[in-house]
Amino acid sequence: MKVLDRKRMIWVNGVLLALLVLSVVGCALLGPVRLNLAQALQNMLSPNPDAEILFRARLPRVLLGVAIGGGMAACGVVLQALLGNPLACPQMLGVSGGASLGGILGLIFFPHWLLPIAGGLLGEISWVPLAGFLGALCSMMLVYRFSLFHGRLHPYHLLLSGVIFNSIIAAVIMFLNSIVDFYQAQGLLFWLMGSLSTRAYLTVAFIWAYIIFGFLWLWAKGLSLNLITLGEEAAMHLGVEIGSLQRQIFIASSLMIGAMVSVSGMIGFVGLMIPHVMRLIVGSDHRLLLPASFLAGGIFLGWADTLARMLLAPAELPVGIITAFFGGPFFLFLLYREGRKKLAL
Amino acid sequence: MSLAIQISNLVFTYNESLVLDHLSFSVEKGSMLGIVGPNGSGKTTLLKILSAVLTGSGEVKLNGRYIRSYGRRELSKLFAVVPQESQISFPYSVAEIVLMGRASHHHPLALEAEKDLEVARKSMELTEILSLADRYLHELSGGEKQRVMIARALAQEPEMLLLDEPSAFLDLKHQVQVFELVRRLNREQGLTVVAALHDLNLAALFFSRLVMLRDGRVYRDGTPAAVLTEEVIEEIYGIRVQVQRDPSGEKPQIFLCPSC
Amino acid sequence: MNYLTRASAKHFFLCLLALLLGREAFANESQALATKAIPMRIVSLAPSVTETLFALGFGNRVVGVTTYCDYPVAALRLPKIGGFTNPSLEAIVAQRPDLVIGVNDSSHPVKAREMERLGIKVALIAVTNVNEILNSIKSVARLLGSPKAGERLVQKITLQFDEVKKRVAPAPRRATLLVVGLRPLVAVGGKNFIDELITLAGGENIAGNAAQPWLNLPDEYVVAKAPQVIIEAGMGSERGQIARHWGDLKSIPAVKEHRVYAYPSDKILRPGPRIGEGLEEIARLVHPECFADSKGGLNKGSGCEGS
Repeated sequence: MKVLDRKRMIWVNGVLLALLVLSVVGCALLGPVRLNLAQALQNMLSPNPDAEILFRARLPRVLLGVAIGGGMAACGVVLQALLGNPLACPQMLGVSGGASLGGILGLIFFPHWLLPIAGGLLGEISWVPLAGFLGALCSMMLVYRFSLFHGRLHPYHLLLSGVIFNSIIAAVIMFLNSIVDFYQAQGLLFWLMGSLSTRAYLTVAFIWAYIIFGFLWLWAKGLSLNLITLGEEAAMHLGVEIGSLQRQIFIASSLMIGAMVSVSGMIGFVGLMIPHVMRLIVGSDHRLLLPASFLAGGIFLGWADTLARMLLAPAELPVGIITAFFGGPFFLFLLYREGRKKLAL
Repeated sequence: MSLAIQISNLVFTYNESLVLDHLSFSVEKGSMLGIVGPNGSGKTTLLKILSAVLTGSGEVKLNGRYIRSYGRRELSKLFAVVPQESQISFPYSVAEIVLMGRASHHHPLALEAEKDLEVARKSMELTEILSLADRYLHELSGGEKQRVMIARALAQEPEMLLLDEPSAFLDLKHQVQVFELVRRLNREQGLTVVAALHDLNLAALFFSRLVMLRDGRVYRDGTPAAVLTEEVIEEIYGIRVQVQRDPSGEKPQIFLCPSC
Repeated sequence: MNYLTRASAKHFFLCLLALLLGREAFANESQALATKAIPMRIVSLAPSVTETLFALGFGNRVVGVTTYCDYPVAALRLPKIGGFTNPSLEAIVAQRPDLVIGVNDSSHPVKAREMERLGIKVALIAVTNVNEILNSIKSVARLLGSPKAGERLVQKITLQFDEVKKRVAPAPRRATLLVVGLRPLVAVGGKNFIDELITLAGGENIAGNAAQPWLNLPDEYVVAKAPQVIIEAGMGSERGQIARHWGDLKSIPAVKEHRVYAYPSDKILRPGPRIGEGLEEIARLVHPECFADSKGGLNKGSGCEGS
């Protein structure tokens, strides 16, 4: 009888964690320009190009990528369980659309009038992510309101209202895109495609705080997540307070998704693919699946972004292209292998 | 003997139509009760109220306490539910499914302890699925799946077992196996069993007491011989039948005879 | 599943495709259209075309412009036929034009085929490099029946170019980065007339070796290439934040020496008749010391030759 035990927990997560740390180091050392590591480490404090490339241009970016990849994958796992739908992904929840719209409004209507009043403060926090996060919170409350009946979040309504909400927002964004000037429109499109470019450790810390907080919250619900995949009633029979669980999962994942999308735009595919890949590798027990997907998502997006920086150097590709291009075929391969195994039985 | 379940004046309305209409009956500890009745008579709703999925107005007491006063974890240690059929969209092994029955018994943040594994193993032995432990649920046959569901219910170490037409999708052999298992559990472990049943003959063979529901009320309550009479069947189901005794001469069995 | 990104990616790639195909496939403008009849009702599909028409003195023949056509001021009052990438066929037809002029980047070649099917004459001009821009001015003038006006305008621009070239000639080339957006960092690459303007202005585009006309640069590349001048010429994106944006990268000479400029300018970005002025703007930013005497008299020893 093979079941999840402590040894397996420690082994799988330990190996993945080690790979994640190695990936952070590897991704920070690789890039379109050559880095003199000795130079970078010796004169860490005085302004020199190598140190700035490593500590300013690359490291925060890699750390952000790892956090976003992990967060997206973790959200994908819990949303697939919550919605009882293996095709669910973070982009499905209305929150991602709300964050995009907020971010875009922030891009277009940068509050110049605020600069003289709160110039210093506004300089410290980046305005666009803040606007994105506000958008995410608003859309979260809207979608929540439209899917809550008798204290329960109805998965079907959650799914549908999220998708519809996103389509409405896509229309609004396309509308905004056609009324702003040409260069602004280009900027919007680039932003929508998602980028992990950042040098602000404050932003990175903000994202990590949200993701760690949300992840731990969701991980603590690992056992209940297992039960909820058996169906709502079965979960209730096995002792799950279903209404509370659904609300908690929705709020925790929405906060994470809102924070992520507001900083990095819409980076697709990680949240859909990594959970499936990890389910095939480590099984469906969410107490292991969730941390394993988190770590694997971080590793995957870290490398995807490194490729995005290097592939067409000096031009940087939208990282979403890489995630779909390399992740897609791999995912299809796994699916095919799995299908063949199943049908052979 | 004390009462496991007391229901009095239970009312449930759905879309302004009365599904359960001032229903009252009780179930003794360690007994086996079959709930029968035509489609729409309220069987499934009654089971959902008993398992606290739905709430009706009126009184429902479990072990003398109002059902409302129980928390979910507490309830899941008190009784287990075996569903008609289970659709699971993610790949779990049999052992994982059965272990989920232990969810209320260990800390939500902890992994299953040795004791949980022991209980799960025992319930798989009882249901004869230990050899399937590492197989995936979607690879199993209907009968095997149903035994997995029973094993999971047993892993909850409940006092009561609620079954919702547990044999609906099974062939003859597996139907009998499931009910024999349930009866054995009732006898050996003193499990209180409440089952909603479609098959009146199986109900008569395995249950000592039947409650016949009609339009959300108790129409008949008693031994199979008292409940399953030709008159009652004709009244409730609107068809003519013959009721005879089974070979042992104790249990009534119903024969359809459209031509008689 | 992912409506937003899918839609935007599609849009983006359409633009990109049009950019790539347009340049190669439609390099020579439709000369067949230069028939005897002189066009009197012209619709412009691009701000640069509108500027060219007005600069040639044909502003009174323009009957339709895009919503982006904001120069000269007179253009603002003209009927709008839609955006730059998505002009409305209906609105164009409604103006009963005898000539429509677009550029062969963007979506115009596709639109042109639709219009030609409706019997509307369309001319597409190529504007990917300075030479093409100057030639396009001449061919627009020819199309409108006064080649002389074209020659005069091109000569004026050429003189502006020569003046700038002369001024920056003694100065050493400065590594320059010209961007139109910070988040993401969208820079002028190679195969872009602005890349040529930077070179003419005595600079050297640090992203000039890129194959794309516009590209998204990673920060590390900017640090490694150590630009001495950074110009943000875009009209959108967190304006006023540019100095702060680069503030933490002290190793970049442009940052150290305070040569980071927020300078939103259509003169630089539009491939039209004002590129001469655009070039001077870039040159003044790249080599301000070479223009130290522009107000007063001659001022030798301004440092233009040195540093």
